[in-house]
Amino acid sequence: MDLSVQLAPNNKHGLLLSNPVIAASGTFGYGTEHAQVIDIQRLGAIICKGTTLNPRAGNPQPRLAETACGLLNSIGLDNIGVKALIEDKAPIWCQWHVPVLVNIAGESIEEYAVLAQMLEGVAGISGIEVNISCPNVTAGGMEFGVSAEAAAAVTAAVKRGNSLPIIVKLSPNVTDIVAIARVVVNAGADALSLINTPKGMAIDITKRRPILGGISGGLSGPAIKPIAIYMVYQVAQEVAVPIIGCGGIASADDALEFIMAGASAVQVGTAILGNPRAPLDVLEGLECFMEREGIGQLSQLIGAAT
Amino acid sequence: MKQIRAQIISSSEVIPGVYLLWAQAAEIAALSQPGQFVMVRCGEGYDLMLRRPLSIHGISQDGSKLALLFAVVGWGTRWLSQRRQGESIDLFGPLGRGFVIDPGSRNLLLLAGGIGIAPLIYLAERALAAGCSVRLALGAETASQIYPRYLLPEGVEPVIVTADGSVGERGLVTDLLPRFIDWADQIFACGPIPMYRTMAATELARPVQVLLEQVMGCGLGTCFGCRIETRQGMKFVCKDGPVFELRDVIWEEIKEPASREAVIL
Repeated sequence: MDLSVQLAPNNKHGLLLSNPVIAASGTFGYGTEHAQVIDIQRLGAIICKGTTLNPRAGNPQPRLAETACGLLNSIGLDNIGVKALIEDKAPIWCQWHVPVLVNIAGESIEEYAVLAQMLEGVAGISGIEVNISCPNVTAGGMEFGVSAEAAAAVTAAVKRGNSLPIIVKLSPNVTDIVAIARVVVNAGADALSLINTPKGMAIDITKRRPILGGISGGLSGPAIKPIAIYMVYQVAQEVAVPIIGCGGIASADDALEFIMAGASAVQVGTAILGNPRAPLDVLEGLECFMEREGIGQLSQLIGAAT
Repeated sequence: MKQIRAQIISSSEVIPGVYLLWAQAAEIAALSQPGQFVMVRCGEGYDLMLRRPLSIHGISQDGSKLALLFAVVGWGTRWLSQRRQGESIDLFGPLGRGFVIDPGSRNLLLLAGGIGIAPLIYLAERALAAGCSVRLALGAETASQIYPRYLLPEGVEPVIVTADGSVGERGLVTDLLPRFIDWADQIFACGPIPMYRTMAATELARPVQVLLEQVMGCGLGTCFGCRIETRQGMKFVCKDGPVFELRDVIWEEIKEPASREAVIL
């Protein structure tokens, strides 16, 4: 049975994963924390916490609000900064079999370019996921993901600065995600992740004010899965690069929906909070499904529903 | 830390709306320290995405069983309160950094505000076993909310305070500080944030450790959901805490969690 997947066929380094199950950025820290809990080497890949040029303190509390089948977060890119990542985390990743991708976020196109340059040639990093869609920062982040022009410019800047596979993570908070996907691919993206979180809000009716310190947040979890699947389905038919599906995946059945909609790989995120074993459960479930259905190659299932 | 299915040995409502649950959890209990917590999966399927952080209330003599004391404050804890003997629950832990008793401390003052008693019973048991004297100030709104005397570890000296004066002294647990401060070598507290604010505003010539509550996502330091700014820099409540030195927390900045769910206690 072959679950391997090549996510950057046109890149000189390539991005060959042993299986399509990836731990999503923001829910798996730097991978080191979960190493004590599950066998992280079995994962297809790990995408680390969104990383900025300088360390960021993030948004005020409360940062999390649970909603029905979902979670609102307003973390605000609280992170250690790229320098500490290169010095403290990458050397650990070097020892690992599982590929680690670095999720980057900038407040300007220049900042994305600098981040990309700083990560060029750093051992232990297998690719870059460009976050143009964080809904929780006031400068940069989201703005790049909702404008076709800005999204293309960020993609091109990162490509110029770094030879590794570049995956661009798209925002669902747009009128036409297909249009954004097209320009990002034309600008050189090796693959696309979709979706990041749609914006949402929850109110504390006792205090009569928003629950989140950041007022609004990004909604994740099973509540957004149908939105994500439809966006993957639409984009998969319009672009030629691999798509990584993300949004509410908690089981192998969820992952299969995304794969059949056109995703080559999947990210498990919020489900990890409730169940640290979730990515491994998804992987084992995929293996069972392929066995049961007599599928030798996972790639046979990609886009099966399109 | 371990993620396990733990069989429930018993569960009972020991205070109106507050449950004491014992589960078979040797893998977690054996490694645990007072002040540490477990993340408890609540609900079936995907309706609740976050685990509930609950303080470890105690462990059995043989180290095979673990006790949780929790108040029903929302969907998750309601679900947990309805679990019965023989059913099993998904526990992840032990997590966080617990209380630290200094080797030189002999007399320990423990302040419990309401359900804040949860981690302090475990601490009291450990302290007594180590030969310390333990005074426990138990505070609640009213008599029926006071932690039952029959559950207190032998050797603990309780001092009871209620807001309405229905049992013990009338007032707040923090009112007892002046009386016991000279006796105590160390103070440990768990309760609502206003209680900590009162303590922080009082000149206390003793080291004080408090257990802080905050909405948590992962319990591991990966989601950055529970981060707070302290006088020692940004900290994870889940990983660097939940126990902090009273003086390190910037109390003006700390907000009380909007929901009583998905927080410690």
